[in-house]
Formats: sequence, C-alpha cells, structure tokens
Amino acid sequence: MKENLKNLQVAFSEVFSNTSCIALASTLAIAAFLFAVWLPNFGLIGEVFSTSSAPLTAKLKIAIALLGGIGTNFSFLSAGYTIAIATLFGINLAMIVYFLKRTRAGLGRQNLAAGVGGIASGALGIGCAACGSFILNTALSSLGAASALAILPLHGGEFGILSVVLLAFSIILISRKIAAPLTCTVK
Amino acid sequence: MEQEITQQTIQKNNLAIPVAIVIAGALIAGAVYWSARGDNVAVAPQPKAEAENTMGLKNMNPIEDSDHIRGNLNASVKIVEYSDMECPFCKRFHSTMEQVMDEYGKGGKVAWVYRHFPLDSIHSQARTEAVASECANELGGNDSFWKYINRFFELTPSNNQTNIATVLPQIAREIGLDETKFNSCLASKKYDKHIQDDLDNATATGGNGTPWSIVVTKSGKKYPLTGAQPYEAVKQLIELALQEK
Repeated sequence: MKENLKNLQVAFSEVFSNTSCIALASTLAIAAFLFAVWLPNFGLIGEVFSTSSAPLTAKLKIAIALLGGIGTNFSFLSAGYTIAIATLFGINLAMIVYFLKRTRAGLGRQNLAAGVGGIASGALGIGCAACGSFILNTALSSLGAASALAILPLHGGEFGILSVVLLAFSIILISRKIAAPLTCTVK
Repeated sequence: MEQEITQQTIQKNNLAIPVAIVIAGALIAGAVYWSARGDNVAVAPQPKAEAENTMGLKNMNPIEDSDHIRGNLNASVKIVEYSDMECPFCKRFHSTMEQVMDEYGKGGKVAWVYRHFPLDSIHSQARTEAVASECANELGGNDSFWKYINRFFELTPSNNQTNIATVLPQIAREIGLDETKFNSCLASKKYDKHIQDDLDNATATGGNGTPWSIVVTKSGKKYPLTGAQPYEAVKQLIELALQEK
C-alpha cells in the first residue's frame, strides 16, 4: 500500500510535470464528461444542429445548458462516479501515452484489462438508475436487463463504482511501471 | 547545445495545448456529427435507442382534447411529457415544468401535455398511481387531474416509499373529490388500457427512461428531450422552438 502510494507520487510528478500530459489528461477528462452528460440527449443535439433553422448561438446555448443536467438528471451517487470516471479516464490515458512514448514498450495484459474494463463498465454505468435510462437497460432491453438491474441494490450504479475501482487499479499499475527504474534486468 | 534542446522542448510544450484543444474539438464535433446522422452505433452502445430517439418521434399519438393539457391547446409550442409518478427525476422535472408554465403558459406560448410512462420493473406502485390520477380526472375533470398530480409530486418522496393505500385517497379527499367513488374507480380496471396505451406510445416514440418529453413546434417539428434537464435547457429549447415557424 505504502509502496503503491510512493509509486503514484513518483509517476504523477514525472508525468504531470509535462504540460502536454496535463493538457491531454484534461482534454480527455472533459471529453468523457461531455459525452456522459450529453449522452441521453445526443438525439436532441443532433436534431437541433442538423435540422433547426435557428441561429448557431441559440443551438450552442442549448448544448451548454444541457450540461446543467449533471445537477438535475443524475443522482448524487451517479454524478459523483461520472465525474470520477471522467477524471480517472483522462489521467489513465495520459499516463499510458506517456509510458508508451517513453519506453516504446507494450502495456502488460493486466494493465490493459483493468483500463479497458474500467472504461467499459463506466460506459454501462452511465445513466439514471432511478428512471431506467441506463445504457445497459437499453442495450439489453430484449434480454430483460431492466428487471435484472432492479434486483441490484443500486439498480446498476454498481457498474459505475466498479469502473472507478478498475480505473484506479489501472492507474496504480501504470504508476508502478513508470516509477520503476529504467534498467535492464538479469534473468 | 543544452540551451537549444531546452528551447525546442519549450516550443513543443507551447504547441501541446492548442493541439489538445483541436483534438477535443474534433472529438466533440465527431460526437455531434454522428448523432446528427443518427448512426451513433459506432460510438455509443445505445444505437437503437438513439436512432429511435428521433426517428420514433413520428409515432407520437396526436395531441387531442382527451389529453391532459395544461395551458392553451393552440399554443405555439407543446411539451408532451411521458412521466412515472414514482420517478424522483419526474418529480424534479414536474417543478421545472411548473416554472415553464409560469413563464410561458400564461401568454399562451406553451402548453404542457401529461402522459403516463410507469416503469413497472423499478417502480411497482407507479401504475396504480397513474390510475389514481385518471380517477381524479374522471371525477373532477382536467383541473382535478392537475391538482392531483401536483399534490402527489409535492407530497410523496418517490421510489416506492409511499403508502398508496392511505395517500392516494387522502389526496383525492384534499382536492375535494368523492372518496368513495374515487376508491371504487381505483379498484376497477377501467383505466388499465389507457395507461398501457400511453406507455406503449412512449416506447414507440423512442422513450427508454423517464421523464421523456417531446417538444412540438407550431409547424409540427418534434424535438426529443430525455431526463430531468435543468430549467435553463428547457427554456433555451422552447426559445428555439418558438423561432421555428
């Protein structure tokens, strides 16, 4: 545990002393956040931008106002893990890019699985548990996903929490690699 | 030599932020473009629903006198809301819609049409409550329907935490309805088909969660609105819809 924290500290100070890594992490986090908040209303945004004759400013005002949905269309829990997923997603990917650029080596399977699993479960966890608008609900509606989710204590919010855990785990793994000294080991 | 390398690094870093902003813009534009084409199959695991979200709007049952309408039936913009009485987000959106009607309803610009969308799998009481609101309508007319659901959303905490055996007749009594007739109506099955028709229409139009709303302009153009969006978003959408002739 202590070692993991030390690795995180070393890796963070190394990666995020780089302006481009900060920019990449922020950009990805913001993009993930926008995606999550706009997701329920992609249909509306598409209609407004493609078919409405209203001025562009009126269309942009709608897109911006919809971002307020994080406060009204998400429960406290789902808003919390949506923001956490977006932030961890940005940090994770920026660290992976930094690592790949530095070593030109491939990622370990474990790291890849944790990262991809985190993002995938995060995507499934996006939506409104209380009102049945989870992606999982929609994607698996024919298989009765709504009934299955109703049995879960958090009605599907579990996927969001799982995603936060997996992304955090993935960051710990990549930190370990970044913090490791650049040496050739004797086998 | 060392100074040269440092300068090159600074130049690279200076370029990083604009490049990142361009990438972010491209990502957002890509998302909007895909959704505009209605084929966001590749970007979101919700393809069918998103496509239906706009394509299904034509399946919306026409707004008629028999609907529960608040405001002027001939208003320039009509908002058809499909709602679940146990959904906490519908409760929140109900307040938003009341604010909308305060601002736009009195001038006859906006009318609010209420339809039922009980999500039985997560809100087992919602269907009974929908029937109760129909009974209020039967016994006291459109005004009583709105009084009933306003009071219901005001009084109850959502998520099946209401004791419907006592609360439903209590609201009927409060708004001046005959409690005996109300209970008899509630026990009957006469509104089951009506509720089911509303629900079927909600899903046919692309609704997959509540609240699900369709904003209809004067020309008949329809905009989908998913979830309890903030007042500002609804207001901006109304303003845009009012501009469409």
